[in-house]
Amino acid sequence: MNLIDRYVSEVGKHLPLVKGRKDIEKELRSTLEDMLEDRAQKSGRAADEAMEIDLLKEYGSPQEVAATYNPQPYLIGPRMFPFFLMVLKIVTLVVTIVLLVLTGVKIATMSPMAGPEFAKVIWDGLTGIVSAVIAAFGNIVLVFAILERFVPAAEFKMDEEKEWDPASLKKEPEPDEIKIWEPILAIVFTFIALSIFNYNPQLIGIYTVSGEKWSSIPVLTEAFFRWLPWINIGWIAEIILNGILLRTGRWNMSTRIFSIGIKIFQIVIGYFLLTGPSILAVTPASLRASGIFDTDAAQILGTMAQNGVRVLIGFIIFMTVIDVVKAIYKLITQSSSAKT
Amino acid sequence: MTNTESLENVVLELRRGVIVLAALSQLGTEQYGYSLLKQLADQGLEVDQGTLYPLLRRLEAQGLLESVWKLEEARPRRYYVVSAEGKKLLPKLKKEWAGIVAVMNKMLA
Repeated sequence: MNLIDRYVSEVGKHLPLVKGRKDIEKELRSTLEDMLEDRAQKSGRAADEAMEIDLLKEYGSPQEVAATYNPQPYLIGPRMFPFFLMVLKIVTLVVTIVLLVLTGVKIATMSPMAGPEFAKVIWDGLTGIVSAVIAAFGNIVLVFAILERFVPAAEFKMDEEKEWDPASLKKEPEPDEIKIWEPILAIVFTFIALSIFNYNPQLIGIYTVSGEKWSSIPVLTEAFFRWLPWINIGWIAEIILNGILLRTGRWNMSTRIFSIGIKIFQIVIGYFLLTGPSILAVTPASLRASGIFDTDAAQILGTMAQNGVRVLIGFIIFMTVIDVVKAIYKLITQSSSAKT
Repeated sequence: MTNTESLENVVLELRRGVIVLAALSQLGTEQYGYSLLKQLADQGLEVDQGTLYPLLRRLEAQGLLESVWKLEEARPRRYYVVSAEGKKLLPKLKKEWAGIVAVMNKMLA
């Protein structure tokens, strides 16, 4: 095997795995032999190894030569990059929020804590976020690098590539736009609800005072707390959704679908709460036991409360169903107007 | 970035577009890579081999060139020639080039 052969097979090793690899090698060998012959003729002597070495040195290292045949020198190319950045931002935000919530939950469940213990939870939380974000980054890069290689350019068009209409600047603000305080309020209240129902359920009760002593009747039954983990999932999903809305500033196809998904999930939970055992611990018996009401009043109030809570759940389900129908309608009109 | 570096980059950018037109214009009759390289150099356009050979393959993939292997002097050579599509495109590219040259000459005068 002469030097040119070895050089060509070395280039071949570094060529991208595309078809025509053998062809490139064959063409390169033929070119190098032509060049060598040319040089031999010019210098008036037969080609020798020194001449070959000079030629190959000039032609460049095998890696460099192979790189010139690589049509795709990017891991994530310019056409994918804006979309990649967008997904990266959303995922980073969601991962961070979810882990912050989990850390918050941990702090709430472990309290009261001593200083060092508290610092450790915070430290674990922060390092957890850093490593999760790095892992998410790696996974997203991997997915996009694969997309870059297997999705044909024609099938992937970013929004910017659609024809931009300057008239869109003059349009009135769309109903899709979100006022910034809405998601913030939603996030804050959902957090409050999460922490009260999960960590301080004793706060939810009817308080009475007799003399110096406060006492309270619990309002919620075991049936409610059995469903609480599922309700929590809905709430956490809502926090994530509002985090995304805060970032995007408007409703779009994916946030609408996400929101519809959460609502349907909540309707299903609502259905089980409605049809299962009562979630309200205020019954004629419990009111009688409290000693505040006489038998008749306890009977009437207790029955009213039991019926009232079911009516309330039914009403909330009804309103949520209307919300879902409205959201689906918007989704359909939005996607059909996008097509035209 | 030093001045020479930026000068080199601009010159590289300028030449990059020209090489396609130069190669297409010379491949009315079939030639193999190295002979085209020499022909371009003889006419005053020095092109790096690392630029020209991959370019020829790209133009072939785009359908502007056709190629065929021929055995000559006991050595196989890949001959390139402008395809039917390339022939249609070439006059348009020439016109475009003439326009650019005219505009730039006026601007730089």
